[in-house]
Amino acid sequence: MASLKDIKRKIKSVKGTQKTTHAMKLVSSAKLKRAEELAKRSKVYAQKITEMIQEIAQQIAKYGNVNNNIYFKTIENPSVVDIVFVTADKGLCGGFNSQTIKEVNRLKDEWEAKGATVRLRAIGKKGIAYYRFNQIEMLDEIDGLSASPSYEEASKFIKACVDDYIAGKTEKVIVIHNGYVNMITQEIRVDNLMPVDPIAISNEAELSPSELELEPDDDDTLLEALVHKYLEYIMFYALIDSLAGEHGARMQAMDAATTNAKEMVKSLSVKYNKARQEAITTELIEIISGVESLK
Amino acid sequence: MKSMKLEIVTPNGLIYDGEAKMVTLPGKEGEFGVLPEHASLVSLLDAGVITVETSAGKEIMVAINQGYVKVDEGKVSCIVDGAVLISDEDGQLAERMSEAKELLKKAQTSDMVIATAVSKVESIKKSY
Repeated sequence: MASLKDIKRKIKSVKGTQKTTHAMKLVSSAKLKRAEELAKRSKVYAQKITEMIQEIAQQIAKYGNVNNNIYFKTIENPSVVDIVFVTADKGLCGGFNSQTIKEVNRLKDEWEAKGATVRLRAIGKKGIAYYRFNQIEMLDEIDGLSASPSYEEASKFIKACVDDYIAGKTEKVIVIHNGYVNMITQEIRVDNLMPVDPIAISNEAELSPSELELEPDDDDTLLEALVHKYLEYIMFYALIDSLAGEHGARMQAMDAATTNAKEMVKSLSVKYNKARQEAITTELIEIISGVESLK
Repeated sequence: MKSMKLEIVTPNGLIYDGEAKMVTLPGKEGEFGVLPEHASLVSLLDAGVITVETSAGKEIMVAINQGYVKVDEGKVSCIVDGAVLISDEDGQLAERMSEAKELLKKAQTSDMVIATAVSKVESIKKSY
């Protein structure tokens, strides 16, 4: 039986933890609101630009050979696959980071089983720490970006990927992040960034019957600029989405932690009271028996 | 008269979404107008002013910095980095106009293009 002092100390410490988790929950819910707003606004743009790229890809597929264009060509068995993944810079957000890492590992194994070399590009401290600990090499790592996404940084990061892709150093780029669905749910999202696959895009979109004109009509400048914009934006959106997801996950985790701490304090108090009562009873018995023996 | 769908999207959200009879766009290679049933087209947009004639016959101006436009038979979608809708619906015309001018001045393009666009914005005042 733990002594009274021990239990008291423990109650105090749990109460302290409870205060911390509660504060963290409040901070996260405030940050979540901001991130959510940002994500919502960016979503429309991300959707539109994706739609546009896909339509153009389909148009190109219809009138020419897609394989002529480096961004749209299909590669049957890519020999090098780059996986870009976004994790949080901080922990204490439940399974948020481990879910992403699990998915990264799954895809990594899948591609390696197919004989491809997988290269990892990490964003966020937690993911970097995990792969460092397991001594798995990463091609590129950046921290601080997932806590405060900036468009410039995101485009710099993805540019390294694109340059490698154009130089032929990699043949496929996948982006993985844990995205925001609503306050209490996150969802792992996997985007096949490059090559842009015109077939994956359903045939629902009604295609216009006329041939696509480009202006300025040396089509490389326009398409290249557009594709770059698209890639940058998808990367940036992944960061925003991930940030919103992170705060959602943390809020939930901290809420659960606070509830648990409350319950723990409750059961510890019961234990403390029992122990106190026990001590009093023992003391009383001692006194009474002492008195009795003196008679 | 036929109309087409027009969407103007920025990273900060949807600026305009509605039916239009005619749209004039500031293309990189020069300004061009689009009517319904226009052949498919993708173009770079320079900083400037998009003029929209809505199906109700009203004229709307949107100042943009650079972006892209995708036109097909029934739809025009503009994807731009920044846009300001200039309207006097809520009595904030002057405010919107200075916002628009600021946006245009910040655009990374030749001074001539910016000057043309700004003067266009200024001329709006007279038409209202």
